[in-house]
Amino acid sequence: MSTNETAVKKAPTKSLLTRMGLDRFSALYLWGAFMIIFGLWKTDTFLSFQSAKLIMGENVSVGILALAFLVPFCASTFDLSIGAVMSLSVALMCFLSDEKSRAFNMPVALAAVIALAACTMVGVLSGFVVVKLKVNSFIATLGIGQFITAIVLKLSFNRQITDTFSPTFQKFGRNQYLGIPVVFFYLFVAGIIIWYIMEHTPVGRFIYATGGNPEAARLAGVKTDRITWGTLIASSFLAGVAGVVFSAKVGMFTSATGPNYLFPAIAAVFFGASQLKGRPNVLGTFIALYALAFGIKGLQLVVGTDSYWVNPLFQGTTLIIAVALASQKGVARMKKRKAKAA
Amino acid sequence: MAKILHIWSLSKTFPGQIALQDATFDVEEGEVHALVGQNGSGKSTLIKVLAGFHQPDPGHNVTMNDEVFDIGSVEAAHAAGIRFVHQDLGLVEAVSAVENLALGFGYKTSFGKRINWKEETKRAKQALLDLGFDIDVRVPVAFLGGAARTGVAIARALQESDRNISILILDEPTANLPGADVDRLFDAVRRLKARGIAVVFVSHHLEEVFEIADRVTVLRDAKVVATVETKELEMSSLIELIVGHKVTAATINRSIDQSLAPRLSVQNLIGPGMDNVSIDVRPGEVLGVAGLTGSGRDTLIPLLSGAMDRIGDVYIDGVAIPAASPNAAIAAGLAFVPADRLRNGIISMMSVRSNVTLANVKRNAKGSRLNHKKEKAEVNDWIGRLSVVTTGSEAPISTLSGGNQQKVMMSRSFRLDPKVLLLDEPTQGVDIGAKEEIHSFVDSAAATGSAVVVASTDSGELARLCDRVIVMYRGQIIETITRGEGSMLEKIDQVLLAGSSLAHK
Repeated sequence: MSTNETAVKKAPTKSLLTRMGLDRFSALYLWGAFMIIFGLWKTDTFLSFQSAKLIMGENVSVGILALAFLVPFCASTFDLSIGAVMSLSVALMCFLSDEKSRAFNMPVALAAVIALAACTMVGVLSGFVVVKLKVNSFIATLGIGQFITAIVLKLSFNRQITDTFSPTFQKFGRNQYLGIPVVFFYLFVAGIIIWYIMEHTPVGRFIYATGGNPEAARLAGVKTDRITWGTLIASSFLAGVAGVVFSAKVGMFTSATGPNYLFPAIAAVFFGASQLKGRPNVLGTFIALYALAFGIKGLQLVVGTDSYWVNPLFQGTTLIIAVALASQKGVARMKKRKAKAA
Repeated sequence: MAKILHIWSLSKTFPGQIALQDATFDVEEGEVHALVGQNGSGKSTLIKVLAGFHQPDPGHNVTMNDEVFDIGSVEAAHAAGIRFVHQDLGLVEAVSAVENLALGFGYKTSFGKRINWKEETKRAKQALLDLGFDIDVRVPVAFLGGAARTGVAIARALQESDRNISILILDEPTANLPGADVDRLFDAVRRLKARGIAVVFVSHHLEEVFEIADRVTVLRDAKVVATVETKELEMSSLIELIVGHKVTAATINRSIDQSLAPRLSVQNLIGPGMDNVSIDVRPGEVLGVAGLTGSGRDTLIPLLSGAMDRIGDVYIDGVAIPAASPNAAIAAGLAFVPADRLRNGIISMMSVRSNVTLANVKRNAKGSRLNHKKEKAEVNDWIGRLSVVTTGSEAPISTLSGGNQQKVMMSRSFRLDPKVLLLDEPTQGVDIGAKEEIHSFVDSAAATGSAVVVASTDSGELARLCDRVIVMYRGQIIETITRGEGSMLEKIDQVLLAGSSLAHK
């Protein structure tokens, strides 16, 4: 009767957004849009195998750092110290194997082992603070990050450290295999390992369960404290790996090395979490990482020489848009759930 | 009595699902009208359409006081004089009743926009007194009891001029209330009725329907099956209307071999709400735990399962299990279903599959590799055995109704083949059909030799399930009732009543 028209108007249909998969595959669409826009705009520079290779290689450390953020994030634990830990890894690598200072002059392999061990210990410490002292992970790792930054500054006297690594070591960072930067394969392998653990092992299930509802997980027999602690150790170790790879590839230390990578890593994880399964996941993170990377490169080419401001602007904007899209989806899903429950 | 609200042929379709079909429903002036039906039968849809959360399908005809009522918008419902109190009450827990009332209505201010607290407090106090609640309106509502909180929510819904409010709709107001609080709430409902306000309420507790409702409307499979005067109705026929067939409660006929060593042995248990309690449960025995909230009934299972820390020894088949470690308890052969399903039970972002297998994921893993195929098959088997209504093992658990989520929790425990099974409020918020299914699974767990402990506020459930019921009061066992000594239900209620009268002294 009286409400016929309104009822028809509001008849439930799947929104265009959902049907096109714009919500779950928005990063892929975005990537495609960048390729088209910048491809038309800067055809010869942007659409070259050379620049693709450059982007692939440049983002490996960020990618590994993103994996480091992803693992505890799946357990609803934040690790914000990873930027500082990566910088610790690079600083230790340079400091221990520096030939000029002759302080230690260690073989690079030994320096790498020590750097990774030190980073892992940072994870043990973060885990202790979060699990035993029951400090919120956000606060705990923010604090520990500062603590690590202090150590790094002391180690490096706040100076650049350059030309420290042997050519053999730098081959591991700069060579190409099948025309692709070799470091890209490191990221690929790291991604496969994390993906396998998260999706195909009981531990992955426990991590997601801890992230979903820690008390329910504990009552179901999951050792949630160990899981939380373990993910923090894993994240610090991975941040250490990111540092070692960075050392091989770039071969120098500046105090801005790690911290500047933190935001892009977090952005990729958050953006990636809105993709595919709608929860933090490896593939989504990688897609988001490279969609953003190609976008930034395109914009840098367009802007030209003084493009130093492009990066943060782009990262910040896309992160907010991505998360906003995801929460729109969350709102829609909740509405649907409510309707279903009725 | 005069009919005020009249609904003809109201339907609501969601994509792929008819939630309400051709419903006819009416409300008489000043009556108490119960709305019952299983989960998913359409009662919430009916209420949500009335409240304006959902747009109904075209083709309906609704009048309020003989005028066309443009159903399907919040404003229209409000203008028509219909008010709602939803199950979660929607109170701001951290602030007082006074402020909660003002939130809905606005503060009275005096000079300089200063809030006139004296006036506000007086107003709130009076509103609650009218409902029969003599409470301190200045303490945060989080400190109030369940009934008083519902009272605050009702007072808030009814404030402003109540002369044009004619219908108050309560969605499962008693779902989380202990018995004594239900009485206080019903007292408030009777006062409203005396003021000429019709009260429509949704409940899973059928005895409440007989206690307070004048009429009852039954929904089943999205249709209104009947509207009947409760005077002309019996419990058995009401149940039959709800489930659509005759339900015969299984009668337990098992004997416990008392010469067997206890499977679960609890000695000198001390913890929150628990004062030096010892219990033995033998293989195949179902022990019930009754008592008011705070008596120890509500903390016994968390203490035994390791959810809470405890002092005192707990043995399974003679082997001590450590305190405060659910993991160790599960490894020792204990399984339990916690009372608060949403907070302590399900992991809502995960699938049905992940939720079922969480307590023993490794069963379907070879080394550290999960066999997804095997796991899916196992979970689908459980879905079949407990007749869980879901699209399959991969469905997000959040898409299931409460009763079906509870069945998932049951299968998580049952699949462990536990030596000791602890169930805390196993059928809270579960409809009557699912309830009987869950009960028969408890029977079968006992039949396989598990020792089962059931803590419940539902005396009928304890009488249905248990060989022996202990009644707790202030952390101690004040009575043990054994099957075969007359009506268990009556005895449990008698002791509970005696306990609550002790509490009031």
